[in-house]
Order: sequence, then structure tokens, then C-alpha cells
Amino acid sequence: MDRNQRHRRSILDSLGEELIGILAPVSICMFTVVLLVCVLNSDPSSSSSASFSSIATAAYTESDSDSPWDRFVGASLNSLVFVAAITVATFVLVLLFYLRCVNFLKFYMGFSAFIVLANLGGEILVLLIDRLRFPIDSVTFLILLFNFSVVGVFAVFMSRFSILITQAYLVVIGVLVAFFFTMLPEWTTWTLLVALAIYDVAAVLLPVGPLRLLVEMAISRDEDIPALVYEARPVIRNNESGLVQRRVWRERGSSQSYHSSDIENAYREAETESEGEEDVGSSERSEISVPLLIDRRPDQGENSETFLEGIGLGSTGAIKLGLGDFIFYSVLVGRAAMYDLMTVYACYLAIIAGLGVTLMLLSVYQKALPALPVSIMLGVVFYFLARLLLEEFVVQCSSNLVMF
Amino acid sequence: MTVAAGIGYALVALGPSLSLFVSVISKKPFLILTVLSSTLLWLVSLIVLSGLWRPFLPLKANVWWPYALLVLSSVCLQEGLRFLFWKIYKRLEDVLDSFADRMSRPRLFPTDKLQIALAGGLGHGVAHAVFFCLSLLTPAFGPATFYVDRCSQVPFFLISAIIALAFVTIHTFSMVIAFEGYAKGNKVDQVIVPVIHLAAGMLTLVNFASEGCVIGVPLLYLVASLTLLHCGKMVWQSLIESRNQS
Repeated sequence: MDRNQRHRRSILDSLGEELIGILAPVSICMFTVVLLVCVLNSDPSSSSSASFSSIATAAYTESDSDSPWDRFVGASLNSLVFVAAITVATFVLVLLFYLRCVNFLKFYMGFSAFIVLANLGGEILVLLIDRLRFPIDSVTFLILLFNFSVVGVFAVFMSRFSILITQAYLVVIGVLVAFFFTMLPEWTTWTLLVALAIYDVAAVLLPVGPLRLLVEMAISRDEDIPALVYEARPVIRNNESGLVQRRVWRERGSSQSYHSSDIENAYREAETESEGEEDVGSSERSEISVPLLIDRRPDQGENSETFLEGIGLGSTGAIKLGLGDFIFYSVLVGRAAMYDLMTVYACYLAIIAGLGVTLMLLSVYQKALPALPVSIMLGVVFYFLARLLLEEFVVQCSSNLVMF
Repeated sequence: MTVAAGIGYALVALGPSLSLFVSVISKKPFLILTVLSSTLLWLVSLIVLSGLWRPFLPLKANVWWPYALLVLSSVCLQEGLRFLFWKIYKRLEDVLDSFADRMSRPRLFPTDKLQIALAGGLGHGVAHAVFFCLSLLTPAFGPATFYVDRCSQVPFFLISAIIALAFVTIHTFSMVIAFEGYAKGNKVDQVIVPVIHLAAGMLTLVNFASEGCVIGVPLLYLVASLTLLHCGKMVWQSLIESRNQS
């Protein structure tokens, strides 16, 4: 076996490619949210104008004068209300899917994507223009925003669109929603993240959980669930020549056996204006997130069983991650950015580690898994460790120029 | 001082590692994963250390021996972690080799192993630069700058970026030396890595003296360039050996 005749291609060249295909957009989403948070400096306690109220602050509005215990109880009530709202919405989704109203769901998806891109995107752009003093007139701005949103709707729902643009638009939608979630008050954000992680586990793994019902229905009917799902670019590997071809657009209805997907609805009411308590038309936007699943093609000859024991990467698999996971990871990192950049790095590494662990579990268990719990729990733990322990230590050492 | 200065300081600390990342590591996804996991390992070690030392902080400002103890304990923990990393890598190497056999592809080349060691070291170095330099850089993006009493010629951000650059070099290449030393059973290489790390850590204690950084930082760079030279010599020999064999 003369190595020199084999083109010097080692396995290190292509191992782990699918994992990087998911890690890269998650990192880009988190990085963009951190950048937005740093530039726009959106701390609710300091901003005098817009008081952000949504369904997540319906039960209790945080104020700095309350004692920690009061704030904790209030934040837990908030999260409970939010999780209850999400559960109800998910069950409605299950019901609609059961009654085969798929067209209605698709139309609703497109509508909510348009609302997110136009409304939330427009608001953030206005804030950015204001902060950066960018000269643009309102007519141009409206035309550009409208075009941007319409292209986004097409990109997300036409299956023959260029996959790079679709992925970019999905990441943009994730960034916009995550940025608005970071405007919630602090205690509410943390308890909400933990509550959502617990809800995710329950909804996906319990037999009565709505997401599991949805997944089983989708499998039994062999249909796609209409959902906002990020799909890492699937790679078709040609075994003999070692060439790697990339699929340029997604094909629906190809001979893949989907390994079930989960859906989670997140509802959110529009935030109120600063002038009063009037609602600017509660635009309910439902956004579906589908946790991890791997597509495997079982008919590719010797490639079908190529699993690495202990690492578990399918060599012809494509990994799909739901948009809700993108959003809540970015919310965690964005909230960490409001404290300090050190917590951002710690939380980023924790989330990536959690995602890696989840993907490994996915290859072991071969069924739908919730992607939120491990990462969120690790992220929260690392945030508090970094904030309480790490910062003091590092600042002590560095300010005396003692490093190791 | 401004956004430009802030980005400049960040690039001083991380510029070479960025170019290393783009040219060598970004081509192979497995190496990116190695960098991320070694960064995580370094972060965990740092958290454990800060947990251990938290009851004793804040240390008194002018006394240097508690800091010596701190550096000693940190270096010991991190060298122990390097050995653990090596053990994990050994097991991973077996798994990768059996995977390669099943896919009827060639096993790991020696250059592959060196690249994995480089990626591991880069992860440690980047984690050091991020936590000791970049995370404190946020005020540098504003309109002013900051000087420390002990090193009053140079802004604090610049000196910490320069020190971080030296440490990135030391961490990156000492991992390569360590892995080669463990693989070949070369006692000299195995011992020299903790010695270099400890020496570098202790050299930063020189910064305690007033204007000590004028002496401390060039000595630190001397240690870093020694590491580079030793690593280069070792890798060259190893490559020539493997070429003579095959």
C-alpha cells in the first residue's frame, strides 16, 4: 500500500465536515447578535423610551427596586406564562397538521417570515441608522426593506432557491428575533431560558409531548413539516475519485428517510410604543424550530454504516437544526454580552460544547432529540461561573501583568 | 483609544494565530474541532483555578510571592491537563486509524499528527489571548486609554497584547513539542515543556518591579523564540526521518 500513489488524501481532510456546517452558522448568528448588542447598547434599564412588553413580561414587570426573591418569583411567573403560551400554540399546530391544513401552515410561515424581516428588521435598521448616522431617505429605505423581505420570503419557501441565500436569510431571521428577545429584563431572560430548556426536553421526549406527536405524524405520513429549519449543505460524496459534490438546491421528496423532526412554536406579541400602552397591532408571529435530525441515505453501498464509534458522524448525512435553537443560543450569548465580553466567550464555548454533545447523542440514539437543554444548561452554568469566579481572578492577574 | 486602536490591539495579540488558522486549520474541519475543544479545556482549567483561588482574592498589591504561588499552581494544573489531553488524543488516534481502515483510506500521516498537535496548541494559545487580553479590551474601543503604574511607558492594552502574543507562541508550539515527546518517549522534550511554561510564567512576575516590563517582556520573547526554534528543529528532524522511512 504505497501512500504516495494515493494522492496524499488522508481522512483528516473531510472528517467532521457536517459538524462544521452547523457550527459555522450558529457562530455567525451569535457573533452578529453580540455585535448588535454592543453597538446598540440595548439595556432596558438604561433606555428611557421604549419599554418592552410582550407576552413574556405579562405577569410581572421587573424593576430594580424589588428584592432578589421578588424578582426571582416574578421572573418564574413570567417564564411559566410564556411556556404555557408556547405549549398551547404547539398543540394548535399539532391539531392543524392533523387536520391536514398544510397549505394554511405554509402560508402562515411565509407571512410570519415577512413580518419578522420587515417589521423587526426595519426597527433594527432604523436604530442602526440612528446610531451610526447613516444618511438615507425614507423612500429608498422602504423600497430596499420591502425588496429584502420579499426575497427572504421566497428564499425560505421556494425549494429551488440557491441554498446559500436561504441559509443567509434563515440566519438573519434568527438574529432579528434573538435581538428582540435580549431586550427582556435580565432575571426574566435567564429563568425563561432554563424553563424553555426543560420544556424542550418534555415536549420532545415525553410520549404526550406535542413535538413528539408532530414528529410521529410526519413520519407516518412521510411528509415534510412546514417549518423554519436550517439545513447544513448536504454533501454527496463520490467514493472512488474522492470528489465531493455539493447539492446546489434542496430537492423535496427525494428518497431520504427523515428521522423525525420536532417543532416548537414561539409566539410573541409586538412590543408597545413609547407613547403609551397602545398595542401596535399584535402581530403574532409563529416561528417553528426543529431540533436536530440527521438525514441518512441508506443505499450508498459501503457508506451506509460509516459511523465513528464514540464520535458518531454520518458521512453522507445532512444535519438540520431548528431556528428556535439558533435564536435561544443567541439570546443567551447576547444577554452575556450585556455584562462583559469574558462571559460571552465562556458562554460561546459552553454552547458549542453542548451542541457537540447533542450531536453525539443524536448519532447514538438515532431519533429526534431536543437541541436546547444541554447547551442552555452548560451556557447558564458557565455564565454564572465566569461572572462570579473567573472575572475577579483574571482581572487581578492581568492588571498586575502576571500571566501564565 | 478608538475602534481602530482596539482592533489593532486585538490583531497584535491574535494576528499570527489568525493567519495560522486561515492557512492551515480552516482547510480541515477536524482541526477546527480540535481547536475548539482545546480552548474549552483551557477555559475549564482556568475556571477551576479561579474557583480554587477565589477565597484568597484580592491579593495584596505589592507583595509578589502570592502571585508566584498562583503561577506555580496554575502551571502545574495546566501541564497536568496537557498530559490528559495527550491521553485523550492517543485514544482518538486509535479510533481514527480503525475508521480509516474501514473506509480503506490511508491511516494518519505524521504531518496529520503534527497538525493535530498544532491545532491543540493553537486552541490553548487563543484561549489565553482571549481571556487575558481580549476580554479586557472593551474600554480600548472608547475614546481614552489606560496606563498601569508599574509600566508607565506603554498603554496597558498594548503591553498585555504583546505579552499575550508571546504566550500564544509558547502555548502553540510547546504542544507540538510535548506531543512529539510523548509519542517518541523522548524525556528531554517531555520535561522541557513544563519548564518553559513555568519559566514564562515566572518571568511575568518580573513585571512587578517598577518599570520591570522593560526587562520582563524581552526575556519572555527570548523564551518564545527558543520554543519556536526547538519546535522547528524537532519537526524538521521528524519529517526527514519519516521521509527516509517511506
